[in-house]
Amino acid sequence: MNLIREIYQSIVRRDPLSTDKGKSELVFLNVWLHIHPAKVKREHMKFTHTFYLGFITFFLFVILVTTGIALMCYYRPYPPAAYQDMKDLQFVVFMGPFLRAMHRWSAHAMVVCVFLHMCRVFYTGSYKKPRQFNWVVGVVLLLLTLGLSFTGYLLPWDQLAYWAITVGTNIGSYAPLVGGQLRELLLGGHTVGEAALLRFYVLHVAVLPVAVLLLTAVHLWRVRKDGGLSRPLWKLQTVKKEQLVTIGAPQETAPLLVQPAVATKTYGLMEVVTGKPIFETIAPEEEEDAVFSFPYAFVREALALMATVTAIMTISILFHAPLEELANPAKTPNPAKAPWYFLGLQELVSHSALLGGVVAPALMVLALLAIPYIDRNPSRQLTTRKWALGLFTAFVVVNLVLIVVGTFFRGPGWALVPPWVHVVGGAE
Amino acid sequence: MNRRNFLKWGWGSAGLVALVSAMGVSMAAVLRFLMPSVFYEPPQAFKIGTPGDFPFGPPTFLVDEKVFVFHDREKGFSVASAVCTHLGCTVNHFSSDQKFHCPCHGSVFAADGTVQHGPAPRALDWFEVTEARDGQLRVDKNKTVPPTYRLMV
Repeated sequence: MNLIREIYQSIVRRDPLSTDKGKSELVFLNVWLHIHPAKVKREHMKFTHTFYLGFITFFLFVILVTTGIALMCYYRPYPPAAYQDMKDLQFVVFMGPFLRAMHRWSAHAMVVCVFLHMCRVFYTGSYKKPRQFNWVVGVVLLLLTLGLSFTGYLLPWDQLAYWAITVGTNIGSYAPLVGGQLRELLLGGHTVGEAALLRFYVLHVAVLPVAVLLLTAVHLWRVRKDGGLSRPLWKLQTVKKEQLVTIGAPQETAPLLVQPAVATKTYGLMEVVTGKPIFETIAPEEEEDAVFSFPYAFVREALALMATVTAIMTISILFHAPLEELANPAKTPNPAKAPWYFLGLQELVSHSALLGGVVAPALMVLALLAIPYIDRNPSRQLTTRKWALGLFTAFVVVNLVLIVVGTFFRGPGWALVPPWVHVVGGAE
Repeated sequence: MNRRNFLKWGWGSAGLVALVSAMGVSMAAVLRFLMPSVFYEPPQAFKIGTPGDFPFGPPTFLVDEKVFVFHDREKGFSVASAVCTHLGCTVNHFSSDQKFHCPCHGSVFAADGTVQHGPAPRALDWFEVTEARDGQLRVDKNKTVPPTYRLMV
């Protein structure tokens, strides 16, 4: 009995969870949990503040990694074996269609959730000082997500994959000076072929996931180091200047208010570090709003995880991942479409390849990256950010409209065909 | 500047130059490594068969080479690229209007390959076709020719 206790205590060193010290130690003595603060504010856990989109995106990534590793066991990255393996996954492998569907729908969902997460952060003004750089990291993660989705799109080696990647990589070749060589580098050849499939596979299973993992670590770390989640908008107006406590060097405008110690308080100020604080100043009454991460935050995260997994599983049972016939370089399907999140781009490209395919997206990415540095307005209140909100909303709406038009309103020969009109045969 | 500072800055900048150039050379080597030295792709110049293999009238589409071979009774042979100049989709030739239609973004090319409609930035390529010594027709995709080029056999 003593041996068992000794083994248990060698693994779990914290105090019992019935005590506050135990609840704190659960978080900061655990390598996986210590990304959380020991205590979180109630307002930060409110669903309508963040919609848990960051967590959901991360959970989708976890689903993608696990299902992806499972799929790798049955996949050979060269044609035409790649396509045969898809057929095997479809008809022979136990739970193959289900795993493939989970992987595909999680990938689409991740693109959507990253985008929604970005919208949430923008509309709540959470990219503002001191969080500017974390926004930039987030934009790079969005690009990496698109890159992962795009490289994964080719792997089934069916008609859909082949022509989506042919069109997609040709858009890139319009970049001035380096475009053609970039495409050659990416494809390892002049057309989408054996070399391209292998390169996309390497990017998809090794290079990009590792990049996402490393940057996610930076992203989460910066959330903590930049002062935790931003305060919900509805809390902003309640803070009065004279009630503020400044961490670090006190300023004249914000005198240091000292909280009287109470009997239940189990923590204290360990050290005073001088220097300018990067944190938003904290209102003293908020200490009472904080609760221990265990169990309040963890339960909510677990619920978000379960909801995500359940939703993806349900969708994957109902809808199978598409698989068309074997890739045929000689026969372009009509119409040939890129993956849906690039259809806005394809729509632009159908009007002008250079302007729509290179200039517009490059400007869009640069503008996204520069947002926290261009927007000098320190206020997060919606009423004082009319220009920023208008521009960003226009950006979102234009993108959505282009994607919807490209997805649903383009028929054979890229002609404008409403989705309720059925085209028989198409141009042949 | 005294001797001590001169040495400090001198060694410092020499070290920086060495570091930057080493990194530059390494990056160039990595890029060169990623650029294949040999492409295991279909050759750009190839034989397509004897003149008798190609009927008069509508062009013959060669699947692997992605070219249309035109055989005109009076004018002879000409070979057009089937790759759309816009985004690389394979164009179709319609005998009804004698034009090339791209399925991806609706580009239309006239009989001589010039753009008539859609986003294609330039005309379809025409390739040199010659008669090899063994009597077969030989197409060289590295050599583009004006659309008026013809080979009489």
